Amino acid sequence: MLEVITLFLFNIIVYNIPLLYGTTGEIMIEKSGSLNLGVEGTMAIGAVAGYLVGIKADSLLVAVLVSFIASGLVGLLFSFLTVTLQANQNVTGLTITTFGVAFYYFIGNALANSEGGWPRLNDTKLAAQSQAFAIPGLSKIPFIGEALFSHGILVYLGVIIAVLMWLYFNKTVPGLKLRAIGENPAAADSLGVNVTFYKYAHIIAGSGIMGIGGLYMGLNMGGTFEGSNCWINGYGWISIALVIFANWSPAKALLGTLVFGFFNTLRVQNAALAYAFPNALGWLTKIPSHFFSALPFIITLIVLIASSLSSKKKSGEPQAIGRNYYREDR
Amino acid sequence: MEYAIELKGITKSFGPVAANKNINLSLQKGEILALLGENGSGKTTLMNMLSGIYMPDSGSIFIDGKKVSINSPEDSGKLGIGMVHQHFKLVERFTALENIRIGMRDAGRFMHGADVRKKIEDTAAKFGFDIDLDKIVANMAVSEKQTLEILKVLCYGAKIIILDEPTAVLTVQEIDRLFDVLRKMKEEGHSIIIITHKLNEVMAISDRVAVLRHGEYIDTVVTKETNEKALTELMVGRKIELNIDRPVMEKTHPLLEIRDLTVKNDEGAVAVDHINFYIRGGEMLGVAGIAGSGQKELCEAIAGLRKIEDGQMIHEGESIVGMSPKKILEHGISMSFIPEDRLGMGLAPSLSITDNMILKNYNESKGIFVDRKSAREEAQKVIDRLEVVTPSTETPVRRLSGGNVQKVLLGREIKSGPNVLITAYPVRGLDINSSYTIYNILNEQKKKGVGILFVGEDLDVMLALCDKIMVICHGKLQGVVNSNHTTKEEIGLMMTGTINIVNKEGKTDGIAKDSAFTDEEVKA
Amino acid sequence: MKKYHLVRRADAKLSRTLIFYAVGILVSLTIGAIILSVLGINPFDYYGKMFTIGLVGNRYGYKSIEGLLKIFVPLLITSLALSLSFKMRFWNIGGEGEFLIGAITASIIAFNSSGMPNFVTVLLMCLAAMISSGIIGIAIAALKVRFNTNETLMTLMINYIMLYVIRYIGETKADWNFFLREDSERPKFGTFPDSAVMAGIPMGQFKLLWSVIIALLLTVIVYVYLKYTKQGYEISVVGDSSATAKYAGMSVGKIVLRTMFISSAMIGLAAALTVSASGTISDTVTNNVGWTGIIVAWLSKLSVPAVFVTSILISILQYGCQAAATQYPAIDSNYADLLQGLILFSVLVADFAANFKIVKKEEAKNA
Repeated sequence: MLEVITLFLFNIIVYNIPLLYGTTGEIMIEKSGSLNLGVEGTMAIGAVAGYLVGIKADSLLVAVLVSFIASGLVGLLFSFLTVTLQANQNVTGLTITTFGVAFYYFIGNALANSEGGWPRLNDTKLAAQSQAFAIPGLSKIPFIGEALFSHGILVYLGVIIAVLMWLYFNKTVPGLKLRAIGENPAAADSLGVNVTFYKYAHIIAGSGIMGIGGLYMGLNMGGTFEGSNCWINGYGWISIALVIFANWSPAKALLGTLVFGFFNTLRVQNAALAYAFPNALGWLTKIPSHFFSALPFIITLIVLIASSLSSKKKSGEPQAIGRNYYREDR
Repeated sequence: MEYAIELKGITKSFGPVAANKNINLSLQKGEILALLGENGSGKTTLMNMLSGIYMPDSGSIFIDGKKVSINSPEDSGKLGIGMVHQHFKLVERFTALENIRIGMRDAGRFMHGADVRKKIEDTAAKFGFDIDLDKIVANMAVSEKQTLEILKVLCYGAKIIILDEPTAVLTVQEIDRLFDVLRKMKEEGHSIIIITHKLNEVMAISDRVAVLRHGEYIDTVVTKETNEKALTELMVGRKIELNIDRPVMEKTHPLLEIRDLTVKNDEGAVAVDHINFYIRGGEMLGVAGIAGSGQKELCEAIAGLRKIEDGQMIHEGESIVGMSPKKILEHGISMSFIPEDRLGMGLAPSLSITDNMILKNYNESKGIFVDRKSAREEAQKVIDRLEVVTPSTETPVRRLSGGNVQKVLLGREIKSGPNVLITAYPVRGLDINSSYTIYNILNEQKKKGVGILFVGEDLDVMLALCDKIMVICHGKLQGVVNSNHTTKEEIGLMMTGTINIVNKEGKTDGIAKDSAFTDEEVKA
Repeated sequence: MKKYHLVRRADAKLSRTLIFYAVGILVSLTIGAIILSVLGINPFDYYGKMFTIGLVGNRYGYKSIEGLLKIFVPLLITSLALSLSFKMRFWNIGGEGEFLIGAITASIIAFNSSGMPNFVTVLLMCLAAMISSGIIGIAIAALKVRFNTNETLMTLMINYIMLYVIRYIGETKADWNFFLREDSERPKFGTFPDSAVMAGIPMGQFKLLWSVIIALLLTVIVYVYLKYTKQGYEISVVGDSSATAKYAGMSVGKIVLRTMFISSAMIGLAAALTVSASGTISDTVTNNVGWTGIIVAWLSKLSVPAVFVTSILISILQYGCQAAATQYPAIDSNYADLLQGLILFSVLVADFAANFKIVKKEEAKNA
């Protein structure tokens, strides 16, 4: 019975780490005052590029770097269109999603129909490098040790990125300048902060982080990773929702990933839980799995409305979000 | 003599309008220089060239005797220049400490080393600032925000500090405290330029006064050797005879009467403070005052766009307080306000002249369709009568030049046949010829018996054009004077708050003898 | 010192804009061609197949037209609806969700309509879909007007909540669930009774569905509405400057509510027409029109005639891809999405190039 709970905890982490990458990446972008609705597409491109090149080079490091760079290039495109050319952020972001997801499927199908077929992960060094390993000592903690401390390296990387990003925002001067741009670009500009450079740099970095999240899905979430079977499906959109739930804080994004992950796992494992605890949790089977799928969006909608009803001061939403900054407007 | 700043032959134009013409100005080390001039005399433009926001078209800038070129706010900061803008540049949701930290150079990449805080606290202590570094800016009072802005530039090591109208938002006690700080800064060897309109403040704080007028440098005088009257003369200049008609009309009963009107601005501060005035038919009443003395709020309150806190407004005997903008318009009060960006209020810039013509009365035609046919005719009439230069009636207003935009706006206001016309800055940014066209349009209306409230900037124009001039200073009525029996100096002194003639002559308190107000209404 | 500076062009020549757009589209098609070549496919052959949507040398050519129109009708109506709200600067990106709500309500009537006259059923379906979608639109607009809740994110959430609602309906076998076929063991959406299936005018083998005629009529109505009516005028003023609208005495909140109702209701109508034309519902019933519609509206700069033309082009792109897939199995419908994305990116750049010019700015000539 305890194994069921341990497995449940384990799965919360394994299957929801992409949310953490997507969310932290999007937080970085939104903190610069840009709303990028292209998370889904950016993750897809990072996934396919990192996976394919990673298998070719047979190295996790290469895979991670390539997915970061590929998605970073998508971020560069977004920055160029919205920061330099002042294009509408919503439309640009949505198009990145359309384009990125289509690119993913397209390449997937084309490869699946080609001679060698879609390259498999089995028996590669890449697979070995990305496999779960138990952290000595910590993983021996009864009950939670195995669930929390025996994962692939990308799980820990995601957590480290979230923690570092929190430190960056709250403890460093560039982080402060970034937040100032998201709040009031004209004020930051008047203090000599290079608004254009900061926006480009952070949109690119945030997009790159999302890309690693895409790659993770290919390496660590099991199953096939082919054109017709896209893992990205919805993770990007949940990430955008999670940014709101996490109130634009990378630290709360960690917590939020666990909360949204909890419902996500409940969807898959409600039967197992109900079977293990028939008296206490038997009712779980009566709840349709679709409800758990929709729950992140329902919660976010409620959070969104509730926070607009209450005073704005506590919200972490950057005040200048979604508006392009043009110096001569001031 | 070593100068902290020397400006030689600075010229700056925006399009056809020259904001600064061949300006020479010097700031001695360790002095407080007051920069004096009317609205639009080019003070802020000149200072923005020092803070790196604009670049001069020609001329040179010397700092500590060295010729420099200032291309950005960063360059300006590195040269030791700090500017406290009139509109604060603060991130509202950050603390004071964080706001200072954004622009701090050479203090490392990590946030709050104890040394950073200490450095700021030391600076604050040195100049006698009382400030809570951990307070969120959004929770600060205006004076605290200003203190923060000043502390900010001091922490960045500025030796030359420019303050753009710092006293405009402060109470008397706060101004005293600010002046103490400025004197302290002077003792510490800082050089200061302060922009202000208030002559008593100039006399109280400055060592020397430099005067600009219409973008030109007039003179610099030593404060001790001058007085308020002499400064006013320098500032407003000799009266220039303008060839503007002022038809004298038979005046009718008061059309619009305002009693005890109090209005707050967007920040919640009192902008219009218990003002009384009235306009008769066939009369043009000028409103003179330093920019931001409550003109905008006054216009918006009358047009029904801004809630009033207190007071009464009656139009032809009927109260218009609480009426919707539409109702007020139907009553015959028409308002046009040319904001500083000239397109903000009153026109939809992307729409055609035709579409802008019917902005206020599109709903009057029958049926569900907009009557564009007569709108086009109206547009053509306005274009013909006011000589609007445009390719066609279907050209978007945004593509017209400034003068033509203003003609379209005024043309529309007149076309609805109002009996009270409120017009604010109708000639803002226009060349002489366009301005005269506008004056003629207004005079024609006056001849028809319309009562006109003319909110203006140029005293010469107002003296020539208006029958009476109402002067306000910080939202308070300073008095109403007859254009034939006043001088520019008198108005200048009233604008700067030096003299107030309300209740002094009995007649100038802004209350009509034949008021439509009943006694009960006045008491209520 | 010389500095380069971007300046907005004072005049907007239509011819210049069109030329830049054409170049942009050409560039994206070229990139698409390169991708095809890399995969070993002759791009000219492929584009030839795609743009003729399988009409050439096909005995059943009329089927291609019917297929194209099935994509075209919902896309056109949805794009028109989104243009309405975008014109007001209201970021309704909830086209998907609003479409699904309309589709579900219309289907409720359709599945329970046996024996009813066809005309009455379809009319009821349309009305019900319009009202249900419209109510969601009003609710979102009200939150925006009253509390300034972010409408982009709100509508985004609605899209996904509705997606799971329809999946729930489609995957849950239960007594109450009249959406599903009773004779199937696995959950599967049923087909509508004949009473709820869109009729049309037979023209030889080809049948011109009423939904196409409705869509064309609606295009004209929206064009007239925006261009000539008072309400359309109000939308343009509010979108251009809401401060000016208030100054002119317009009630901005009411206009936003009304326009969002019309916009969402039109999307509901598109959904009702779609399910009725196909005689069934599915969780992919939207065919992504909520997303594609945004791209169409933007490519067309919110102009109704341009929306009409762009909808045809995008439909050809999508249907052409499907048609060509019979010969090129390696290239699936995602190629259309890929091209669509590329076209929008290059048009954004083209739009900028057409409206701005780079000028050399002479800086201070120091005396």
